[in-house]
Amino acid sequence: MFFKRYLQTDYISRRKSFHFRIWLLLLFLSISFSGYLRAEDKTSETLDLDFEIPEVEKKPYEFLAELEILETVKGLDNDSLLFLQKYPGGRDEETFFQTDLNLKVEGSYQAQTLKLYARLNGSFWYNDEEDWENDLQTEEAYLSIQPSPSVAFDVGKKVLKWGKGYAWNPAAFFSRPKDLDDPDATLEGYFSASGDLIKSMDGPLKTMALTPVILPVSSHINDEWGAEKEIVWGGKIYFFTWDTDLDVMFLFGEEVKDRLGFDFSKNISSNFEIHGEAAVVFDHVKYITDKDGNLYEEKNNVLNLLAGMRYQTSRNATIIFEYYRNGQGYNSDEIKDYFDLVEAGYQDYTSSGNMAKLAISREYGSQFYNKQTVMRDYLYLKVTQKEPFDILYFTPAATCIFNINDKSASLTPQITYAPITNLELDLKATFSFGKEHTEYGEKMNDYKIVAAARYYF
Amino acid sequence: MKKSLLLLFLCQFLAVSAVAVDGNEMLQKVDRNLNPESYEMYRKLINIEPDGSKKEFIMYSVKKGKDKIASVFLSPASEKGRGTLRVGENMWLYIPNVGKPIRITSLQSITGGVFNNSDIMRVDYSAEYNCEKAEPSDNEYILYLKAKTKSVAYDRVKMWVDYNKLLPFKIECFASSGMLIKTLYFNKIKDFGGGIVRPAVIETDSPLYKGYRSVIIFAKVEKKDLPDEVFTLNYMSKIESLR
Repeated sequence: MFFKRYLQTDYISRRKSFHFRIWLLLLFLSISFSGYLRAEDKTSETLDLDFEIPEVEKKPYEFLAELEILETVKGLDNDSLLFLQKYPGGRDEETFFQTDLNLKVEGSYQAQTLKLYARLNGSFWYNDEEDWENDLQTEEAYLSIQPSPSVAFDVGKKVLKWGKGYAWNPAAFFSRPKDLDDPDATLEGYFSASGDLIKSMDGPLKTMALTPVILPVSSHINDEWGAEKEIVWGGKIYFFTWDTDLDVMFLFGEEVKDRLGFDFSKNISSNFEIHGEAAVVFDHVKYITDKDGNLYEEKNNVLNLLAGMRYQTSRNATIIFEYYRNGQGYNSDEIKDYFDLVEAGYQDYTSSGNMAKLAISREYGSQFYNKQTVMRDYLYLKVTQKEPFDILYFTPAATCIFNINDKSASLTPQITYAPITNLELDLKATFSFGKEHTEYGEKMNDYKIVAAARYYF
Repeated sequence: MKKSLLLLFLCQFLAVSAVAVDGNEMLQKVDRNLNPESYEMYRKLINIEPDGSKKEFIMYSVKKGKDKIASVFLSPASEKGRGTLRVGENMWLYIPNVGKPIRITSLQSITGGVFNNSDIMRVDYSAEYNCEKAEPSDNEYILYLKAKTKSVAYDRVKMWVDYNKLLPFKIECFASSGMLIKTLYFNKIKDFGGGIVRPAVIETDSPLYKGYRSVIIFAKVEKKDLPDEVFTLNYMSKIESLR
């Protein structure tokens, strides 16, 4: 009710919207600050330990939920080509506000060897350009059968995440790409049937496991893979040997292009881990535009590579560093042609009001170009300092994504604080850097600030 | 004279060797008294801040042999379903959101607080350490332990063992630089049934976390036959089905 009244119309509602956002920000800060004060001010108490563990009694069903409130502020770059592509007539405000309310609910029911599991994600959002909108997504819903610890079958909508990389997973053949802004976020699965056959052994090869996958494709199911009816099949073979994880994965289809992949990870010492992935996509088709808007197809076998490490310093900082070679990405000349097309489209619009080229660039942008990791070579660096200054559950971090090809980058400082059980507060700001006609230089936002509060119950 | 000296040297050498063997044997007995070969258990892990406020985690764990342990968090809701696996010095974390196991290292901490991953996923001490010296005292022995490899979390460990019960009551953990990282205190010896009598509480403090303490409370420690396949990456998302 409050939200409906709050959204009535333009000026008054925007003023209220502004006040609402200030209120949310103050709420965020007050929870953070009060948690900190509480930690500082209380006097020591005698240890009063509760020895009871009621969770020892297992229930056949379980429910969990995550409520998330997000407030996003974007500082728009009025001169960037992607801004001009979307707002050729300009925009009154230089900032863009959005409020998100997300509720994620998951439940399971287990009866002997059968388990049913589902996870739903309901989202409500409001921003400067839209009234409240909503979306409900079934991220996962599947039946699992496990006759023994070494055999399992899953049927339904399920996320199959493969690969060892943190930011990118070129060998994750059966899952959607990760969001680089939040690589740990849950993803939506595909409808599939998969299995797990595990064999443990003595000797240098300690474990071997086979994960076969069948994925049906048609215009009604998994249509992101194509409209033609076909069965895509694939699998992963896992080996644990010489303290190293190794996977070989494969995917075969008719319209869907065949793929072969490999990954590994290993702990070098008590604070140092290395990992890598490699994947070949056969007959990959890349769509390339020239600066006049003519679209070409280029068919190649492409190699995608990832090499990374995770290192923990003596001061408890964790460093994740990865190099990603995106063989499917565009090179500098190809991306320049695209930006030239956008620029020409904008000039046509301003000189004659002709939107044709701009419309073409928007279409190519939404399908091929305006995506994350659109070019060839990237570096990813994330440094997380656990609980500095003896503040428990307080975690500052900084992430840098660097595009090696055009020398543009994004930098994201972040603080996460979990002062109370099941409550997490998160504040992060992303800044883009780059010259003209570079990936991050032409992003629509100069900066993006996101304040989030998450409650789990 | 030379023969006497040689005899004396040999006697001393044999005596030192005998103590070293006893130390390692004692360490193995301590391991078996702390845990059966194959078992399941419930644990409550409590992080206590200087102001007395607490954060609690409940874990269900299964362990087999000297160096395999798998766990899953049952609460709080924010951690529910997170699984951990350790095989020797290899450690993995499974986060339901992330959907795949990732390798972690022994010095990280999945729960925050004073306990690190090697404390939470403790395997047999004799799997990780050799006893270099066993020093007798009144009713106790002090075992001086040295890590077998560089990938072990603590380079040296000093363990105070109750000689009658053959259970530890205090452990000091040192980095390779000689710096004290933390001290563990084993309290409240409890009969869990099935011949398992062991400390029900482990407390820890650390000069690196002044004023902070962490506690593990053990409940329902029971022998359980477990296939090796339970201790594999593919099984990590299903650990809870063993309950």
